Amino acid sequence: MKNGTAFGALAHFLQERFPVDKMNFHSMVEKKEVPVHSMSWGYYTGGLTLFFFIIQVVTGLLLLFYYQPTVSDAYASVEYITKYVTGGALIRNIHSWSSSCMILFAMIHMITAFAMKAFEKPREITWIAGVLLLFITFTFGFTGYLLPWNQIAVNASKVGLQSVEAAGQYLPGQLSQLPRMAIETFQGEASVGQSTLGRFYAMHVVLLPMAIAALLGLHLLSVQLHGMSQGVDEPPRKVEKFFPVFFFKDVSLWSAVFLILFVIASTVPFDSFLPFPLLEPYNAMGSTPPGIKPEWYFYFVYYPLEMLPFWVILLASNIAVVVLLLTPWIFRGTSRRTLRYISLAASAYLVVITLFGQDILHMVKPGF
Amino acid sequence: MIDSVLFIALPYLAIFVCVFGSIYRIRRQPITYSSLSSQFLENQGLLWGSVPWHIGILLILLGHFIAFLMPSLWQGAMSHAVVLAGVESLGLGLAIVCTVGLVVLGVRRITSARIQAVTSGMDLIVLLLLLAQVGLGLATAVMYRSGALWCSATTTPYVWSIVSFHPDMSFVQDMPVIIKGHIVGAWLLILLTPFSRLIHMFAVPFQYLFRPPQQVVWTDPRRQEAAVETLSEEESRRHFLKASVGISSGLLLLGIGVTDKLARFFFGPRLSQKEEAELMQFRLDRLKLTAEQKQLELERQESPYILVGELADLSPDEGKYFIDYAMLPAMAFKGEDGLPLLLSAKCTHLGCTVGNKVDDKGKILCPCHLSYFDIKSGEPNPNSPAKLPLPHIGWVLMDTRGNVLVSRTASGQTKGSADQAALAGARVYIAKSLAEETT
Amino acid sequence: MRAGAAIVFASLVVAWSQAAPAFSFPPFQQFSEKHSGRTTNCSMCHMNDDGPTGNGHGQIGGLTKDQLEQLNKARAALQPGSEVDNPILNKFGNEIVRKLGMQKVLELSADPAKLPEALGNTTDLDDDGIPDAQEYLDGTDPLNKSHGDPAKLFFINLSRCKLQIALAVVAVFLLDYGLAHLLKGLSIAAKTAEPK
Repeated sequence: MKNGTAFGALAHFLQERFPVDKMNFHSMVEKKEVPVHSMSWGYYTGGLTLFFFIIQVVTGLLLLFYYQPTVSDAYASVEYITKYVTGGALIRNIHSWSSSCMILFAMIHMITAFAMKAFEKPREITWIAGVLLLFITFTFGFTGYLLPWNQIAVNASKVGLQSVEAAGQYLPGQLSQLPRMAIETFQGEASVGQSTLGRFYAMHVVLLPMAIAALLGLHLLSVQLHGMSQGVDEPPRKVEKFFPVFFFKDVSLWSAVFLILFVIASTVPFDSFLPFPLLEPYNAMGSTPPGIKPEWYFYFVYYPLEMLPFWVILLASNIAVVVLLLTPWIFRGTSRRTLRYISLAASAYLVVITLFGQDILHMVKPGF
Repeated sequence: MIDSVLFIALPYLAIFVCVFGSIYRIRRQPITYSSLSSQFLENQGLLWGSVPWHIGILLILLGHFIAFLMPSLWQGAMSHAVVLAGVESLGLGLAIVCTVGLVVLGVRRITSARIQAVTSGMDLIVLLLLLAQVGLGLATAVMYRSGALWCSATTTPYVWSIVSFHPDMSFVQDMPVIIKGHIVGAWLLILLTPFSRLIHMFAVPFQYLFRPPQQVVWTDPRRQEAAVETLSEEESRRHFLKASVGISSGLLLLGIGVTDKLARFFFGPRLSQKEEAELMQFRLDRLKLTAEQKQLELERQESPYILVGELADLSPDEGKYFIDYAMLPAMAFKGEDGLPLLLSAKCTHLGCTVGNKVDDKGKILCPCHLSYFDIKSGEPNPNSPAKLPLPHIGWVLMDTRGNVLVSRTASGQTKGSADQAALAGARVYIAKSLAEETT
Repeated sequence: MRAGAAIVFASLVVAWSQAAPAFSFPPFQQFSEKHSGRTTNCSMCHMNDDGPTGNGHGQIGGLTKDQLEQLNKARAALQPGSEVDNPILNKFGNEIVRKLGMQKVLELSADPAKLPEALGNTTDLDDDGIPDAQEYLDGTDPLNKSHGDPAKLFFINLSRCKLQIALAVVAVFLLDYGLAHLLKGLSIAAKTAEPK
């Protein structure tokens, strides 16, 4: 009997989150309305993330035609794309720029959704799917970074993977080997090599896209089912139709963003920001060149990792993941005003550590 | 002789008659300079005939005029293969649209009794002539490709020679019959303009495009409501029209750009032999590197000893990199005792490869997170991110004949000894037995 | 007499380069790094990242017999203008020697800030629009078209892709114009439909 009620509760929970009677064009598209208020811009951030994802899919598919995922050929094939294939440099550059933009907007989207309390009942599943999507996006960034097989790519991946190993020192006895074994299983061999490249490639072009497609489907379905969240505490005085008004506004924003992306990608090579020794083919026999750092979107965990003891980072990141996943229940009673302050503080941290992390590190640890 | 008549006399006659005839008719019979609408008599056929015909022919004529008026600009644009192909296919498509429209109009003239009542002989002649002209144009486009390009050396200078009163038919004299026919047809149509319904092209109501929608004010409230409704319907239609023009041309332009880029991307590069050779060399070098590494790996699985180098080549302040039995980087120094000093080069912090230059304090630096290691003990500086020492590696010294002179385990136990003379030609090896001992 | 001097000088060069095994001309690299604030390495001018000494690819120890001969010939190119193909140098390194001659290069290594001036702004081996001398100052790769000072590349490529960018702007403008009118039309149509 108890079983039956638990099952009933689950069914009820799902029914509320996925109301079948609303799954039609009329209520998901025609009837949907978007509130107009001072935070309305937040509604566009998700769409922009989706747009950059679409760009990633298209340009990624194109790069797939020339890229070769082997230790001996990966670098040469990337160089072939940028140096010889017509439009190859542009397409690769769009892929690089757009990947950064996608991650940036995914982060902004999450922060604004948090500030607007867009995780409130019945949108818990939307939120959790969104958090998982963000994690997948980061994994996309991490796996894709290795593929050109140049100095920075391989060495940064090595450092990134190895840092997980340090968790072993806090585990008792036999368990202390667990992180190392997990990493070696993940990378396929004792050190980053051909197996790692093959695995990262498979993840980057097959597994993660499938995962993101499934979760994105769930995310978008629930967004359309429940409509836009109210976003502000007092009920908004004005609304606009999702279709066609908001939809076409979204599309015209996309076209403007495409233009900006196109101009930047055809003028500024993404790799130009790195010193050129880091862009040379990976040399397994030589020493690691100085200046190995992860991509900017990992700075928020990289710099603290450099400055603080490892257990602090371990604890903080575990707490952060749990809090993110449980946000709809933890912050159920919090007012939007408070949420806004929390997100402001979080964004201030992210901005400061990303822009000035190097200087802060320099102050804390002279010599870096 | 006949050419002079067709390409010099006829043009001047046509232009003269067209200009003065049209002025005469517009002055004297102003009411007739229109196309005598038959919309009241028949609507459906007119819609499906007149609209495609006019859209098609206006754009095609526009193309002809631009090619004539701005020859250098036109030629510059057409020299781009993609633009040329675009213009060609656009022209072809429009010509087909024109033909369809014209055929519908012709059928309508012939089959509808009401229309026949108002159809003059001249109407039919013009219709047939236009049909022939479009047909010839189509034939030219299909049979003599890239007309948009070759026109700038043939027909454009010909027309310019006519209008600048230095007639020179040599530009077109030797052209194929179809093209000549198209040119003659054009002059004939110009000639017939004042005598036919063609004159209505001087009566295009351009102002309709720009004037604001007229609002009819009714005193009757019911009628007023209906009028407002019609007005807003008209206004929204106007917006939709602009929207479709904007969206379709924007998408077309974007589409052309993207398709162009993609086509070239898939077409791939066509490398010169030199580039091809360079690329091949680069790839070969990379393959060799990979092969070397595999070789190293195999060697480490099979042989009991691996050569690190000559003892004489080792230096106390710059390490020599080598790969140890675990396929990890290591380096060799000469120790203070004149014997080798072998250390792992894999940083105990996050696995970067430690640098090989010894500073004046006898330390080597890992560049990733600035850990300094003492080469004698392998110990990191106390404030370094790395906490564990770089492990020592056992070695074996052999003379050139392969006799073991001295060996030392990783933990530092030395076996055997040798004098300076014996050490002179000695070589440093790492040994599998010593490597297994440590693990 | 002149030939004799050249031989003496060439042997000096060889002796000098042997005396400094790790780097051949570290002053240039040090200057480039200091001036630009970017890390560089020997591969700006050399074949190998770690400079000319060693047994690797493009290092003296790894050269074939023919290449060694080439190397010696190139080292004797004291005067500017001789066609050199030094196997331990890359295209940029060879270009410097061709343009200035070894003698001048040696002189300049005492004052590496003068190198750009001596090279002039006429060569741009990778065709990225930034002269090689400037890339030396910026610490960027003179042989890689997609590597250069981002701000400089932005303006150079902006003017190079003028037409494409203008077309893209026009396309996006048309699209946005169309979408704006579509929205207006739809809203008017919706208003008209409402009373019914």
